[in-house]
Amino acid sequence: MNERKDMVADKAFAEKAKQLFDESVEGLDGQTRSRLNRGRQAALEELETGRPAWVQWAPAAGVAAAAVVAVVLWSGNLPVDQLTPDASAADFEILLTEDSFEMLEDLEFYSWIDLDENADESLEPEENVG
Amino acid sequence: MNACVANFAVSCESGNRTGVRTLQREQELNRFLAEVEKRALRIAEISVRDRDEALDLVQDAMIKLARKYSDRSSDEWTPLFYRILQNGVRDWHRRQLVRNRVMVWFGRPGNEDNDYDVVASAPDPKGRTPDEQLQSQQAMQTLEVAVGELPARQREAFMLRTFEGLSVAGTATSMGCSEGSVKTHYSRAVHSLRESLGEHWQ
Repeated sequence: MNERKDMVADKAFAEKAKQLFDESVEGLDGQTRSRLNRGRQAALEELETGRPAWVQWAPAAGVAAAAVVAVVLWSGNLPVDQLTPDASAADFEILLTEDSFEMLEDLEFYSWIDLDENADESLEPEENVG
Repeated sequence: MNACVANFAVSCESGNRTGVRTLQREQELNRFLAEVEKRALRIAEISVRDRDEALDLVQDAMIKLARKYSDRSSDEWTPLFYRILQNGVRDWHRRQLVRNRVMVWFGRPGNEDNDYDVVASAPDPKGRTPDEQLQSQQAMQTLEVAVGELPARQREAFMLRTFEGLSVAGTATSMGCSEGSVKTHYSRAVHSLRESLGEHWQ
């Protein structure tokens, strides 16, 4: 019996506390409300800047990529010469690598191996074919 | 060529859908924060007894929620938000404790709670006679002081259950404890408050 009475009193107490609290919330002054609003806007800005960078630029990048593809396709097939890199430039790049200098020292040896391999291929028996 | 254009169109549509979803999320979060911020401020203010500090704590909690949990279901936001806020309040109390110890070490009194003027920081209720307003203000101030004197866990349980209206499960998530602990803390808080405030308060 006492327990039940206690529970009812607890409930009444909590209701009154809640009512007073709600009134105090409603009575918050304009300056405080304004500061809360600014804090909320700052939090929402965080949400915007928290997105991955590529998401922000994705539409622009998509448009640019599509434009490039469209221009290439519209102008027809380019001559093969324009699509392949300049042969002399490629050779020069290969020669400038460190390994190439070592290779140049044994150039005679490599040319002999190359000739030897070609000779082996020409001597291969025909029964292995197929 | 047609396939390329079609792919681009699909990509754009998908981007737009993502943009719309993000905008909807932002609006949803804005509504949630606008709804919860004032009560959260008062809860934090009762805990730390300083409005400016409480405003900072609420703003931190809003930013952390937006940064870390905005992609969670909106149903989860309330307990998550209050968990962040309660952690902030606990950290604040720890920092104050350390600060006061340091002040005592250097022979200067720490920043006690004496400078908290409950009358000056009292809210301004509307639509009632001055007598009624005064009575309500005084009752709330008395309640605030009594709630502020409760042990931390009892205070958290009481405020989240009574002021914010969270369920036992939601309060348990916010406090990072079991539902049984919430019930115990809440029950002790109510009994303690009723005892300290006396029959005339009710």
